[in-house]
Amino acid sequence: MIPRPHPEPGRLVDAEFQVLDRQVLDRNGEPVVTVDDVEITDIPRGVELDPDADAPVIENLLSGSAVLGTRLFGGRPPESRWQRIRWSHVTEIGTAVELNTTADRLDASWTERWVRNHLIGRIPGGRHAPD
Amino acid sequence: MLLTELLRMRVVEVDGTEVGRVVDARFRIDAQGGARLVGLIVSPHTRAPFLGYERAALDEPLVLDRFLRWLHRGSFLVDWPDVRRLDDDGLHLREGYERRPSTLP
Repeated sequence: MIPRPHPEPGRLVDAEFQVLDRQVLDRNGEPVVTVDDVEITDIPRGVELDPDADAPVIENLLSGSAVLGTRLFGGRPPESRWQRIRWSHVTEIGTAVELNTTADRLDASWTERWVRNHLIGRIPGGRHAPD
Repeated sequence: MLLTELLRMRVVEVDGTEVGRVVDARFRIDAQGGARLVGLIVSPHTRAPFLGYERAALDEPLVLDRFLRWLHRGSFLVDWPDVRRLDDDGLHLREGYERRPSTLP
């Protein structure tokens, strides 16, 4: 079956219920991260909003300890610490959020790649699958 | 901005009456796959999420269903164009805003 290029048009999605804290899977079904927050278009504060203006959209899924930590304990993580996955990569929202790209191409999985290359890879036998 | 900056935010009417807190944000997928904000779900009695009971078809286990529906009694969806201003003290609604059912179709 050919995967969808993006989620079904017209579908309604309640973001907290159906996106936050969901597992993110890459195009091969490999777990990447969980969704710790969602970045939406900036809404200006303290000004009258134009009812005819375009409504905000989801721009990125966010992950990482900085985002999760401030969500749990308060505060706001600096944007430089947001690990983003572009919404345009999302193909399906179900029990998991599915992407059209592979984990290796995402900034969000850099810690896993770093540990693989710098720690696990230096252990004898650490560069191949178990026999 | 972060979605979680909107969640749990106070929602007030033009005269300053607090009508509840934002418990979720509803988006619609467009033809290109983008997710655009339709509106915010406001609950007058609790900040807790619905745990899926906003889906009309989900009603089991019965005790949990009744409890969550009681907890979220009076919840409604307010369309995004009915939001007049976002301030540090909360979301301000326009005069004559409409309270729409929060259940997912």
